[in-house]
Amino acid sequence: MNVRAVAGLSILLALLLAAPLLLGGYWLSVLILVLYFAYVGQAWNIMMGFAGQLSLGHALYAGLGGYVAAGLYTHYGIGPWMGVFAAVGAAVAAGAIVGYLGFRFSLAGVYFALLTIAFGEFTRIGFDNWDWAGGSGGMFLKVERGVSDLANLRGGTVMFYYVILAMAAGAFLLCRYLLESRLGRYWLAIREDAEAAQAVGVPVLWCKMLAVTLSAALTALAGVWNAFYYNNLFPETAFAVGRSIEMTLSPIIGGLGTLFGPFVGAVVLTGLGELFTDLSDQFHVSGLKQIFYGLALLIIVMYRPAGIWPWIATRLGFEEKRK
Amino acid sequence: MTNRIKFTRRSFGRAVAGASLLSAPMPLRYALGQAPAAVKVALLLPTSGGQAQIGQACKRGADVANLVFADMKLPVKLEIMNYDTETKPDVARTQAEKAIEAGANMLVGAFDSGQSIAIAQVAEQRGVPFIVNIAAAPQLTEQGYKFIVRNFPTAPMLIGGAFELHKEIFKAAGQTPKTAVLLSINDTFGTSMIGGIKAMFPKFKMPYEIVETISYDAATKDLSVEIAKAKATKADMLMPVCRLNDAKLMIQEMVKQRWEPMIVMNPGSPGLYEQDFLKTMGKYGDYHISNVPWLDPKSAMTKSLEKHHLAKFPNDQLDLNGGFTFEAMLIAAQACLSAKSTKSDALMSALRGLKVDQHVMIGGPIQFDAKGQNVNIAASAIQNLKRKPTVVMPKASAEADLVFPMPGWADKRRT
Repeated sequence: MNVRAVAGLSILLALLLAAPLLLGGYWLSVLILVLYFAYVGQAWNIMMGFAGQLSLGHALYAGLGGYVAAGLYTHYGIGPWMGVFAAVGAAVAAGAIVGYLGFRFSLAGVYFALLTIAFGEFTRIGFDNWDWAGGSGGMFLKVERGVSDLANLRGGTVMFYYVILAMAAGAFLLCRYLLESRLGRYWLAIREDAEAAQAVGVPVLWCKMLAVTLSAALTALAGVWNAFYYNNLFPETAFAVGRSIEMTLSPIIGGLGTLFGPFVGAVVLTGLGELFTDLSDQFHVSGLKQIFYGLALLIIVMYRPAGIWPWIATRLGFEEKRK
Repeated sequence: MTNRIKFTRRSFGRAVAGASLLSAPMPLRYALGQAPAAVKVALLLPTSGGQAQIGQACKRGADVANLVFADMKLPVKLEIMNYDTETKPDVARTQAEKAIEAGANMLVGAFDSGQSIAIAQVAEQRGVPFIVNIAAAPQLTEQGYKFIVRNFPTAPMLIGGAFELHKEIFKAAGQTPKTAVLLSINDTFGTSMIGGIKAMFPKFKMPYEIVETISYDAATKDLSVEIAKAKATKADMLMPVCRLNDAKLMIQEMVKQRWEPMIVMNPGSPGLYEQDFLKTMGKYGDYHISNVPWLDPKSAMTKSLEKHHLAKFPNDQLDLNGGFTFEAMLIAAQACLSAKSTKSDALMSALRGLKVDQHVMIGGPIQFDAKGQNVNIAASAIQNLKRKPTVVMPKASAEADLVFPMPGWADKRRT
C-alpha cells in the first residue's frame, strides 16, 4: 500500500469514527447498511474472490449464526459474546459439510452453487418447523428502551454502528493478511487453475475447506450482529436466496478479489438504493427503485466488468488491482 | 410618478389560495381551523417487493382517509407521508429513521411482523408513536414497548375468534359438520396457522374432528392429488389455509373431481375473499366462507370509506387491508384531536387513553390495553354471495343470511 493509500485510508477511518457526531439517525442507519454489506461482501469474497468457489447460499451461515446466538440468549440468557462461539461453530460445521460434499466429489461452478442453495433451502424448511427457534412464526429478542449494554448487545443505533464498523475493519485487516499469506497465494492459484495448483503441490481440498469454513465463520458473525440489531428472525427471510444474492452484489460490483471492492460496492449499491428509494417516494411510483437499480447494475457490469474499485484505484493512484 | 399596482404571478397565486380557502365548504374550513398544526403521519408499507399487492391495497385505505374524515366532520386533516419498505425489515428500519427526520409525528405500518418490529425499535429509540395497522405476531405487544399500539388481532386471537364463530355458524345453520380436513399451503404463514390451529383446537372443544391435515408446496401448479386425498377422507368440511393462486387451483380441482363438502370455510386466511379469486372463479367462487376481521357494513363510516374508495379506485375492492390501514389513520387522527398537540409524549398518552366508538372494522370501540393491543376486534364470517364478500356473522353486522350448506357445483342457485 503506497503513502497516498495509507493517507486516504486514515482519513476515511477518522470520518467513519466521527460519523455518529456528524450524521443524523437516518444517515447513520444508511451507513450501518453500507458497513454490513461491506462486511458480508468481504466474507463472501474470501470464497469467490480469493478461492474462486461460487456460493449462492451464504444466507445459510448468517441465518445459522443469528439463530444460534439469539436462541441461546432468549432461552438460556447466554450473552452474544459467548453465544457467538456456538454460532460460529454451527456455521463452520455447516460450511464444512457443504464444502466437503462439494469439493470431495469435485462439484464446481454452478453445480457447487446449486449445492449451496439447496443447503440454505432445506435449513429454512427445517427452521420453519423447529419450535425451539420459533418455527415459521419467528424468533424475537427482548428489546429494552434506553439501555446501552454492550455485553448483551442491547442498545441504540450508535452502539451497533461501532460494532459493525469494528467488524468491517477487522475483516478488512484479516483479508489483507490472508491475501499476503501462503494460504492466500494458494487460494489465488486454485482460483486461476485448480488442477495446475494441485500438480505443483498445493493442498487443494484443504485450502478450499479453509476458505469455506473461514467465510462461513465470518458470515455467522454478521448473522449474530444482524439478529441483535433487528431483534427478530424469520426462516423465510434469514435463509432466503435473495439475501444470499444481496451478499454477493457488493464484491461483484466493487471488484471481485479486491480488498476495497466490497466496501466500494456497498457504498455504490446502498447509495444508489437510497437515491432510487427517494425518487420512488417523490414520484409516488412503487417499484421505480427496482427498475432503475437493475438498470444501474446492468450499466456498471457492462462498462466495468472487473468492478468499480480497480478503475477508481488506477485513477487515484492507489493501484490496488485484482490479485 | 406612476401609481400602478404590481400584479405578479406570486401575488396572483396568493390571491387564488386565499379565495379558495374562503370559499371552502364549511365542514372542511371548520376542520382546518380545529386541527393542531399540520400532523405528519408517516405510512410505511411494502408497496414494492413480495408483498407489493397487499401493501398497495393497504395504502388505498389511507389515501382516502382525509376525505372520509371530512365526510364524518372530523376536524382534522393528516399530512400523510408515504414510505416504501420494499418488503424488507432493513429497509423498513431506514425508512422509519428517514420519516422521523422528515418530521413525522406518528408512524403507521407495516403489514408484516418482521418489518413492524424493525420500525418499532426505531420508534422506541426516538420516542415516536407507532400504530401497527396489520401484523399478527403476538410478540409485537408483548415486548414491553412504550410507543406502540396495534389495531389488529394477534394470531391466537384470529384463530380463537374463528373457532368461536364456527360454533355460531353451525348453530345458526342448524347443521354441524362432524369431520373436517385441513388443507394448507406450506409457506411461513400456512405453517404458522396450522401450528396454531393444532395447538388451540383441543381448548375450544370443537364439535367436529380434524381427520386429516394435508399440506402442499407454495409454488404448486396442481392440487389434484391433494384434493383427491381430501375427498377420500369424506370430510364434511374443508378448511383451507391458502393464498390467492392456490385458492383458485383448489376450487377448480374440487369442481373437476365433483367433491361437494357441506362447506369450504377458511379459518383466517386470504385467498377466498379476494377480488381476483371472485372474478376468475365466477359462480364457483360463491358460498365459500372466510373467518377474517372485516369492515362493518352497518357503520356510517364504512359507507363513507366505501364511497370514496370506489370513486378513487373503481377497479379495486376494499378489503380488510384497506380497512385496517384506514383505521390506523383514524386512530392517528383521534389521538391528534385528543392530544391537541403534535408532541410525541402527548400523542402517546392520547393513544393510550383513546376510545373510538365510530370506526369501520367489526368489533367494539377501538381501545388499547396496557400493552397497546386493541382487544375489541371481533371475528366475522364473510360469505361470497353474488361475487361479493358479504358479512353473514356476527348477526349485528350481517348484511345477508348465511347459506349453509353450500349449494353443489351444479346447483341452480349458482348463476
